[in-house]
Amino acid sequence: MNDPYRLLGVAATADDETIRAAYLAAVRACPPERDPQRFEQVRAAFEAVANERMRLAHELFNTTPPTLDDVLAQLSAQWRPAAPSEAALYRVLGRQD
Amino acid sequence: MLVGVGPSASAAPAELAVAALAAARFKDAVEQFKDLLKSERRPDWIEGLALAYAGRAEQLAAKGMMKEALALWRIRAEACQLPVFSGPYVGWLLQNKQLETALGLLPSVDKLPAESREPALLQLAAALLVAPERLLGGWSEEGRGQRAAARAAVAACALGEAASLETALQAISFRSPYRDLRPLLKALALQGSDATAAAASLARVSAQGPFEPLARALRVCLMPGDQWLAGLRRLDEAGRSLVLDLKGCPPTQRALVLDLAAAKEASAATPAALLDLLLRHKRALPEPLARRHCLSLLTHVPQKLDAVRAAFLPPSAAEEAQLMALAAEIKQQPDRAESHWLRLVKLLGSTPAGQRRAALVLRRLADEHASHGSDGTLCSHAHDWLEQSLQFDPTDRDSHLRLLRDARLRGDLKQARNRLDAALQHFPADTQVLMAAVEIAQAAGAFKRAAGLARQMLETDPLNPQVRTLIGQAHLAHARKLIGTQKLPAALSELDAAQEWLRSPAERGSVMLLRGLVTEPAAAGDVVLQQAVSDLGGALVGGFQLLLQSKRTLPPIQYAPQPLLRRAGVDITGTPGTAELLALARALDAVPERDAALTPALAVFTGMLQRAAAHMSCSESEHLLICEALHRHGQASLTERFSAAALQRWPERPVFIYLEAAARFADEPWRMPDREWQRLDQVFDDAHDQGDERTASRISQLLGAAEGDGDGDGDGDGDGGGGGDGRASGLPPGLANIDTDQMQTIMREMLELGGVDKFLQLARQQLGAAAFEELRRDIPGNRKQFAQALVKTLAADAVRDLELPVLPPKIRVRKTAKPAAADPRQLDFLDE
Repeated sequence: MNDPYRLLGVAATADDETIRAAYLAAVRACPPERDPQRFEQVRAAFEAVANERMRLAHELFNTTPPTLDDVLAQLSAQWRPAAPSEAALYRVLGRQD
Repeated sequence: MLVGVGPSASAAPAELAVAALAAARFKDAVEQFKDLLKSERRPDWIEGLALAYAGRAEQLAAKGMMKEALALWRIRAEACQLPVFSGPYVGWLLQNKQLETALGLLPSVDKLPAESREPALLQLAAALLVAPERLLGGWSEEGRGQRAAARAAVAACALGEAASLETALQAISFRSPYRDLRPLLKALALQGSDATAAAASLARVSAQGPFEPLARALRVCLMPGDQWLAGLRRLDEAGRSLVLDLKGCPPTQRALVLDLAAAKEASAATPAALLDLLLRHKRALPEPLARRHCLSLLTHVPQKLDAVRAAFLPPSAAEEAQLMALAAEIKQQPDRAESHWLRLVKLLGSTPAGQRRAALVLRRLADEHASHGSDGTLCSHAHDWLEQSLQFDPTDRDSHLRLLRDARLRGDLKQARNRLDAALQHFPADTQVLMAAVEIAQAAGAFKRAAGLARQMLETDPLNPQVRTLIGQAHLAHARKLIGTQKLPAALSELDAAQEWLRSPAERGSVMLLRGLVTEPAAAGDVVLQQAVSDLGGALVGGFQLLLQSKRTLPPIQYAPQPLLRRAGVDITGTPGTAELLALARALDAVPERDAALTPALAVFTGMLQRAAAHMSCSESEHLLICEALHRHGQASLTERFSAAALQRWPERPVFIYLEAAARFADEPWRMPDREWQRLDQVFDDAHDQGDERTASRISQLLGAAEGDGDGDGDGDGDGGGGGDGRASGLPPGLANIDTDQMQTIMREMLELGGVDKFLQLARQQLGAAAFEELRRDIPGNRKQFAQALVKTLAADAVRDLELPVLPPKIRVRKTAKPAAADPRQLDFLDE
């Protein structure tokens, strides 16, 4: 996962406070002794976008290309889970249209 | 027949049939059991035949030959007198879209006894559920009622109403063939809101039950993170569609999602592939998102710029400059990157909104593209970039501090004060800025002001030990100044003040030594000096500190080492032990580099140190500590002595070999003989292999200096070999007698006079951008080192092009750097 905003679970427009709160929540959820690798990712993400200057620098100098996961995550962030239609359920069970 | 594996040819036919069955040779087994049954219909042979048919049918089904599998199953039922709807038959029918055939079995199922009917109905449950009414004629009332309840539950689930779903599920009885729908539909209803509860409910669905396709889709839906993408690929079209429905994926994005899943599974997610994919599905994504991703990917595949231009709103000039700069960085073309960054600065700097960005770009250029002098000063470009960045954004404290430090390193106190004023304007209470203010005041001899500023810092940060030390040092420095001008009472009170703030034994020792120097009568002062020497750790370190402080403090005429040492009772004829040497190393570490007082003070103890080097008995790390301390202060002869001593105990240790070589050649690297050069080149590898990257890097620098500056023959006279015959006619008189060494000298002068940038600019023009960039990639180091490396190549080429007899330079093929390639266009460069 390359996008620090996605890793911290905040919008790219988030302010310092929101990012800090998300970072602390992520660290609480995943302390270094439990998953050092994940913690390191979270820490690096926070350091990349912790304040406005860093966010600008990230925007200007980041060369890490977006990944499939980044694209999918941003895409699916807009999705709203829905109940299935009857037709879809019957199709899965073998109904021939 | 396999010899020695299966039964022999003479084995009984029954054994052969059983063996074929056990070896999964079902086709053979079928034939053999059929032959056996012709003679007698023994139950175990009928059972064997049924197993052989079943095995063969499953083999065919696994190959996708469903029709053949179904036909074989029917033969099996007839030949072995078994019900046809046992086993996988009904499932295969449904998979093969033979719903009517499956439901045609219903009348025979209804006639079965209850214990056989239930499993048969269970197999048919999914088919019954989806079947049109017209196919259910003649079916029992009970069966119709169970089906109606199940369909009502499906309808309630689709409505998404929890209460009506609950009621409908309760209507499905425990003995109904549709009973698996209860946990399944419950999981379906929960999957969007409570994945854990949904998974728990799904776990209650029996494995390979009649509704497995639905359960499988739901399992994919509940996979954590992005694993569901991989699961999606393993579902059939209806299953995928259901999963994407449940996820809420709009129809316009489904093709993109499936392509993403395919690319992920194929691990084909290179930037180029992803860019192509995004361009192909550009309408599936919100345009700003798609455009942003495509621009990011362009930095890795800039050749696709036109495709992105055509697909989206074309990048602005600033965006294009940014992505070209990043693309050049990725391709390790620092000079090209620099020019794009500077273009970006120009574009951004013209609007107030872009100025902060422009400032960031300039700071980054100063960080990454600039070279530093050997004294740590910034090159002119870095300096200018930082200065310009502060015009765009004066609120960056670090840039203020870097420029301030640079002014101090250059010894330009006036400039440093101006910088300080600018920094204080924006950061009046910042500890680091105030710290710099104190240091500047001290450097300017304004000790009272320094102490005052430091006290101001203590008001905001009362526990800061660095500030307390600064105050103490300010008083100590003031005391020195007063001693130098013979204002002894005032000096004593400054020493009192210094003692109040300074805490470390070394600092307090320094205060005591100065006190000893000014205490009257002299006899009382001697006692203080002797005590100070003892407190500081003995004759070596105490005596050294005494001479160091005296040299810094006393007017030259009053500085007399031997009488001072006598007053302090220091005997320099002994051989110091390890503890004293380590204390000296620590004392040396506390002395700033290039402190003019150090060398004369230490010189007095050379004899002691040489004796100590010959009798060292400390550990390797202690030995290293001492060598490094001496090396840091350029004490070449002592460093060499201690390193050589270390190498006797730890032969071939890279760091000591480096320190010994650096002591011998760091000042005049061109004098390094080939043998030493090759040895160091080998040691570079050793250091690298041992993970000692610091030593490897230091060796590389030393070799670079020997390579870049040297003429390679070790004698360093630089005038050998010119002249001679065969010179080309018509050459400018100044070039007529030139040889490689002289050409190098000319080149170096050009570099010196014109500066690195001008030199590189000319080299680029003459070599051509492609060749220049290739060389830039091949030659490591910063711009200055690169320019120096070019000197040798360009000089050799220039002389060759002048058709002069070039004396072959001694070629040093370095493992640490690829040698620069020659370029025949060098003659034009000289014309410049």
